[in-house]
Amino acid sequence: MIEYTLSILVHLALVLLLSPLVTGFNRTFKARVQTRRGPGLFQPYRDLYKLLRKGMVIPETASWIFTATPFILFVTTLLASLLIPSVTAQAPLSLFGGVLAVVYLLALGRFFLALGGLDTGSSFGGLGSSREMTISAIAEPALMLAVFTVAIGAGSTNLSIVAQAGLSQSWRFLAPSQMLAFAALFIVLIAETGRIPVDNPATHLELTMIHEAMILEYSGPYLALIEWAAAIKQLVLMTILVNVFFPFGLSPDWSPVPVLISLGLFLFKLLLLSIIVALVEVTNAKMRLFRVPELLAIGFVLGALALVSTFLFQG
Amino acid sequence: MTQSAVHIFDQIRDLCGVALDRWHEANEAEVRADAALSDVRRMVASLIENGCRLASVFAEDRTAVTEDFLIYYVFDHPDDERFLVVRTVVPSHMPAFPSVAAEVPAVNWQEREIQDWFGLVADGHPNPRRVALHDNWPDVHPLRKDFPSDTVLPPFEGEQHVYRPTLGEGVFQIPVGPVHAGIIEPGHFNFAVAGEPILYLQLRMFYTHKGIEKRFEQLPVNRAVYLAESVSGDSSFSHGTAFCQAIERAAGIEIPVRAKRMRTVLLELERLYNHVGDIGAIVNDVGFGVANAHAMRLREYLLAVNEELTGSRLLRGIVCPGGLRHDWNDQQTQRCRESLRGFEQDFADMMQIIDSSDSTRDRLEHTGILHPEKARDLGVVGVGGRASGVDRDLRRDHPYAAYDEVLFTVPVYQEGDVLRRLRVRVDEIGQSLGIIRQILTVLEPGLHLIAVPPLPPDCVALGAVEGWRGEILHWIRTGAHGRLDRCKIKDPSLSNWPALVEAVQGNIVPDFPVINKSFNLSYSGTDR
Repeated sequence: MIEYTLSILVHLALVLLLSPLVTGFNRTFKARVQTRRGPGLFQPYRDLYKLLRKGMVIPETASWIFTATPFILFVTTLLASLLIPSVTAQAPLSLFGGVLAVVYLLALGRFFLALGGLDTGSSFGGLGSSREMTISAIAEPALMLAVFTVAIGAGSTNLSIVAQAGLSQSWRFLAPSQMLAFAALFIVLIAETGRIPVDNPATHLELTMIHEAMILEYSGPYLALIEWAAAIKQLVLMTILVNVFFPFGLSPDWSPVPVLISLGLFLFKLLLLSIIVALVEVTNAKMRLFRVPELLAIGFVLGALALVSTFLFQG
Repeated sequence: MTQSAVHIFDQIRDLCGVALDRWHEANEAEVRADAALSDVRRMVASLIENGCRLASVFAEDRTAVTEDFLIYYVFDHPDDERFLVVRTVVPSHMPAFPSVAAEVPAVNWQEREIQDWFGLVADGHPNPRRVALHDNWPDVHPLRKDFPSDTVLPPFEGEQHVYRPTLGEGVFQIPVGPVHAGIIEPGHFNFAVAGEPILYLQLRMFYTHKGIEKRFEQLPVNRAVYLAESVSGDSSFSHGTAFCQAIERAAGIEIPVRAKRMRTVLLELERLYNHVGDIGAIVNDVGFGVANAHAMRLREYLLAVNEELTGSRLLRGIVCPGGLRHDWNDQQTQRCRESLRGFEQDFADMMQIIDSSDSTRDRLEHTGILHPEKARDLGVVGVGGRASGVDRDLRRDHPYAAYDEVLFTVPVYQEGDVLRRLRVRVDEIGQSLGIIRQILTVLEPGLHLIAVPPLPPDCVALGAVEGWRGEILHWIRTGAHGRLDRCKIKDPSLSNWPALVEAVQGNIVPDFPVINKSFNLSYSGTDR
């Protein structure tokens, strides 16, 4: 029991502390590619610290939804992270649900975020919410199809079992279905984390925003919670990508040496994935908004093909 | 030069069927004439029919001298190097003039400015609401001579501007500004949208109205140059030069050849640094940050060239009536030439990055199309006009400074989308580099400044410069004691804002910023 509680705590600490670093790395790396110096690796931590100490301006038109949204978003995202194996093959809360729970926890957070955008009655919030829902309506099914593909291979939708199954057959990721599913999930990652070419996290142009438009009215600690949740969500999706498809090195239990090796490998895999995401961002312009569903449709088709090819190449 | 050019205005005068009295060539750049107030509509119609363009309309208060107001119509024609300035008299007991905005939409705002500032009614204007003075101003006319400039107006609670209502199933409005998220100037944009597509856009400018034209009337000429430079900060040198040209014409002096050539170099350097910045800003608005980072680096590089030549990165405080305040030596010329050679190479590399990005092209092509006929009707000038088939460039059509000794082409595209406005800038950068190179080769030692004799009162003159954004006009009348009696400034932005409204129609909301950036209009220059 103590060990169990400890694993949850360690996991929580890892997710909370690591997620801003991933965001920081992405920004710094992009800045370097653009021949800029950038704000530094640890800027997101400083931003969170700053926001948590600030006062808040809450619109007079806002209802309880506006207040509840940051907490719901933060908690659901954090819960989702506990369902995914990160340094050990056993996710801390894996008994409570599998990949469906992850998808729906994230969807619940997003649902409230969209409501929070609408709640203040500002036209930008509405704009952002409507765009976010348009995108997620296609991104979510693509995500489901991709993880189902992997789940069928493992015989379970529980991500711990999927990862353990992956450990026993380490070259599985070369199977066509796995590669297609990985590609689908990568597109979902780009869309769900608001990266170029789908959304531009660095823009100040309120008319072009998606995620940022929804949270324009938030400030202070609430904004910190939302920003932190966004960073955690990014880490969650990246962890699914690296640990479900490339689970090698995952420690089966909490014995120190394998865990340290596993942690090192995990960070290395995240680093590679971050670099790929950043390179996609700097080499592309943002898509016209009406083209985004086309990109996500590609993700959806890839996911569907992955699922079909699981059965085609089963023998 | 002037002898060989076709004097098409003289032919048109006989064709136009309206009595244009006191027709005379005031100087090599200007033909002046008088028309009766009742003839104005016919005069404008027939001149436009004969291929002229109405560049500006403005008024002047002469009630102190002759009990009346004067309204000036400035025309130009592609086959004549001079401007035609037609003057008409509006008696002060009947303060109204016939509006031509219905036939010439280009002067819509300018006629309304006359209404706001002079209290002269534009008879028959299709939309006679206030434009320059916002609705919370009381009924005053600040450019009249009997309005003291230190007047403190009482706070006013009254009717506010009424926007066209946004009606329809699923149609809603997005009000943006006047305070914006970036470090830009204030302006209100009221979008009516059906989902993402924009049905129409309503603009409201003049939030930064500073009364610059009124201020000119109190300053001695030498200090007024600084004011001219600050009309629009990114066009300091162009505005300053246009003003100085007007002063020099009024004084009847010719500035030294070296000064003309130096001005040409600096005008082109101003164009270069702004165009490079704009190219970066346009691609940045579609999220292509790498190219923007290079553009900002190159812009900085050019600002250093400006500083090397003039000591001012933004070319301020350099131009003055009679030439330029400071000379530069051959060493500086040499360094400038070398720097620009390096710039040319780096710029080509940057354009290769932009041109090889399909996703960028996809965003820019067919976005924010301004059709050539609309551009013509609205009198769109400068970059925005040339991307939509308006083949006008003052440097070629009304040569000033040393533009008559250099060879260059004027890029014109017909498609009128964001990509073409970008391409016009890219092509113009190439031409500007060519112009500077040609000038630096022939730049000989000589005087960079001559003294301007004290100006007699009541001299009028027009100065025209093709700024990087487009046509800049300064019209002055000298007053007593070496001061100005009136200075009219026509910034290119004033002509181009209405074009933005046309260009965004049917586009989607997230494409608005890049369309806006592709015009990159000045709020300060519009509002004055």
